[in-house]
Amino acid sequence: MTEDKKTIRGILTEAEAKNKRKPLFNPEAIKDLKKEFNNWKESTVKESDRNNWYVTPQTVLGSEIPREMIYSPLNVSELDYKNDIGFSGQEPFTRGVHPNMYRGKKFTIRQINGFGGPEDTNKRFKFMLKNGATGLSVIFDLPTVQMYDSDDPVSRGQVGTSGVAIDSTNDMEILFKDMPLEDITVSIVTHYPSNTAILFPMFLAMADRRGITWDKLKGTVQNDITLEEVVRSGLEYIPPRDCFRIQCDNIEFIKKEVPNWNFINLNGYNLHDFGTSGVTEMAVAISNGIETLDELISRGYDVDFIAPRLAFFWSISNDFFEEASRIRAARRLWFKIMKYKFNAKNPRSLWMRCHVQTSGITLTRQEPYNNIVRASYQALSAILGGVQSLHVDSYDEAYAVPTEDAALLSLRTQQILQNETAVTEVVDPLGGSYYVEALTNEIEKRILGEVEEIEKIGGYVASIEKGWIHRKIANYFNTEQAKIEKGEIKIVGVNCYNSESKTPSINVFKYPEGVEERQKEKLKKLKDSRNNYDVDKTLKNLEEACRNKTNIVPYSVECARNGCTEGEIFKVFKKAYGLWKPPVIF
Amino acid sequence: MTKKNIKVLLSKLGLDVHSRGVFIVAKILRDAGMEVIYIGNSMPDQIIKAAVQEDADIIGVSSLGGAHLTLGADLMREAEKEGIKESKSYVIGGAISPDDIGKLKEIGFDSVFTSGATREEIINVIKSLV
Repeated sequence: MTEDKKTIRGILTEAEAKNKRKPLFNPEAIKDLKKEFNNWKESTVKESDRNNWYVTPQTVLGSEIPREMIYSPLNVSELDYKNDIGFSGQEPFTRGVHPNMYRGKKFTIRQINGFGGPEDTNKRFKFMLKNGATGLSVIFDLPTVQMYDSDDPVSRGQVGTSGVAIDSTNDMEILFKDMPLEDITVSIVTHYPSNTAILFPMFLAMADRRGITWDKLKGTVQNDITLEEVVRSGLEYIPPRDCFRIQCDNIEFIKKEVPNWNFINLNGYNLHDFGTSGVTEMAVAISNGIETLDELISRGYDVDFIAPRLAFFWSISNDFFEEASRIRAARRLWFKIMKYKFNAKNPRSLWMRCHVQTSGITLTRQEPYNNIVRASYQALSAILGGVQSLHVDSYDEAYAVPTEDAALLSLRTQQILQNETAVTEVVDPLGGSYYVEALTNEIEKRILGEVEEIEKIGGYVASIEKGWIHRKIANYFNTEQAKIEKGEIKIVGVNCYNSESKTPSINVFKYPEGVEERQKEKLKKLKDSRNNYDVDKTLKNLEEACRNKTNIVPYSVECARNGCTEGEIFKVFKKAYGLWKPPVIF
Repeated sequence: MTKKNIKVLLSKLGLDVHSRGVFIVAKILRDAGMEVIYIGNSMPDQIIKAAVQEDADIIGVSSLGGAHLTLGADLMREAEKEGIKESKSYVIGGAISPDDIGKLKEIGFDSVFTSGATREEIINVIKSLV
C-alpha cells in the first residue's frame, strides 16, 4: 500500500463528515439526563456496583467488549436516526435489507447434510424436504473437500465420512436425483476456491445432462480462500495468490454464466469457530470481500455487476446481544464500504446478506442435550440480527455427524422459532435499544479498526502469506483455552455444574457401510467407459489456462463434462501452481 | 534422578481438516516441558516412519473426521510392522463415539481423549505411559 492511499476508515470518516447530522435527542435533555444519571449513580447504585460498572463478558468466542451495568440515551446521545439506523430496506440497512423482512420472506431453513455416498445423502435430502426444509445444503466428505478421489491411497477409511463422497459428474447426478433444482435453492458447501472450481463445474455438467439451463439454477457455493489457506488442516496447499485468483475466477465465470447463483459466501464462520473473536471474524470476511471486488474491478467489471451477489456466512455463538448486534453492525459497515469506497449504485450492492450457522465449537460432549438449548439461543440471536438463512447445529455433533432424529430436531427448532414464537412478525425488534445500538456502534468501530490493520499489512492475501492471521488465531484460542481451564469462561456441564452422568448414552450416527468400495467401483467403471483421449486433452487445456492465468473455470467445466475426476483436476492445479506451506503456530 | 524430556510426535490422522484440538494439545504438552514434534496431516505409514526417525516416546494422533477406527487400525498395523508397537505408546484424540473408545483400546491405543479432556488428565496420562 502506498503512503498516500487512504484507508477504508479514512474514506468512510471523510464521507460521513459530509453528512449533515440531526441528533434525535435534544441536547438540553441529554444535559439534564447526564446530571440525573450521575445523581442516581451516586445516591441509588450500590458502591460495589459502581466500582464494577464495566463488566467484560467471558463467553466462548466472545469479543471482550466491556459492558456497562445499564444503558440509557447517554450511550447513544449523538444518535441520528436516519443516518445511523434508518428504516428496514433503507440506508444504512442497520435494521435489515428488506422493508418487511420476515413478514415478506421467512429466513430459509437450510440444514446442511452429507454423509456416505451420493445415494445416501440423496435419501437424507428427501427426508429433510418432506419434513419442511426450504432449501438444501450439501457438505462433502474429507477426500472430496481435500480434493482426492475415493480410490486415492490417502482417502482410505475416510470415504463418506463427515460429508458425502463425490468423485465425478456421475456422482453429482445421483446426489441431486429427483431434486427439483428449478424450484429450490441449493447451497453447495464447496469450502475452498479450488474445490469450487472442480465441483461446481460437475454440478453444471449434471444440469446439462438433465436439460436444465444454467439460468434456472439458484443457490450458493462457498468459494472462500480463508478456509482453504487459513483454517483447514490438509496435506497439500496451493499458494494463497493462486488460490485467491481461483476464487475470483469462480466469481467471474459464475456471474456471467449462472446469473442467479451466489458465487461466494465470504466465510467468517470457520475462522470464528477455529478461534477468533466475532470482530475478527467479520473484519477478515469483509477484507476478503473488499480485495475480491478490487480484483474483479481491475478485471474490467463494474462494481454493481458483481456486488449484488456477494453473500456472507457467519458463526453465531453464545454472547446473545453481542451476536445480534454484530450482524446489525456488519450490515451497516458493509453498506458504507459499498457506498463510499466502491461508489455502488445498485441498491442490492449495498446489502450484507448472510447465512448463519450456530457455533459448532460451543457444542459439548458432556451433557449433550444442553446443546439443544445453546443452539436455540444462538438461532434466536441470529434471527433478531436479521439473517437470510439459518442452520441450527445438532446436539450430537461433538460425537459424530447428526443422526436423522437429531437433524430433525434442528429443523424443528427453526420451525418452532418461525411458527410459535412470533419473533418474525416485527422487523428488527432490538433496534432502538440503548444497549444494542451502543453495542452495534462499538462493534462496527472495532471491525473497521481490524479492517484497517489488515490493509496496513498489505491486504488480506498478504496477511495470509505473512502468517499474521495464523498467529492471531493461535493467540486467541490459547487465551480462550486458558480461560476455560481456569473457569473464567463458564461452560455448564463442563467446567461448572458438573453432573454425575456427564455423558449419557445417546444414539450416535453410524456411517453406512461399503461406501468406499462402491465409490471405487464407480470410478473404475467411469475410467473404463470414458474417452480417455478427451480426458487428457481437457486436463491439458486446463493446465495451460492455469499457467496463462486466464479464467480456468470454462476449462474445468470441459473436464467435468468429459468425465475427469476431482483428483485428476486437483493434480493439474498442483502441477501448475506448485505447493505452499502454511505456518504452523501453537 | 535426571530424565530426558518426553518426546511426543503429534499428527492429524489422514485428511481430517480440524486442527484446533491438536494445536491446543501440542501447546499443553510443550508447556509441561515435553518435546513436541507436529508433523501435520499424515497417513499411518508416514506417522510411523516419522516416529522411528524421531525416536518419539509417544505417538499422538488427532481425528475428528470419523476415520479413527480404520486409520487407527492401520496405524497400529504399521507400528507392528516396524516393530515399535510395544516399545512406544499410542494415544488418539478427537470426535470419537463412546462405543469406539473400547474398540480403539482393543486395537492397541493406550489412551483415548475426547473433547473435555483436561490439561491435567492429558499430561498425567502421557507421563504415566513413559
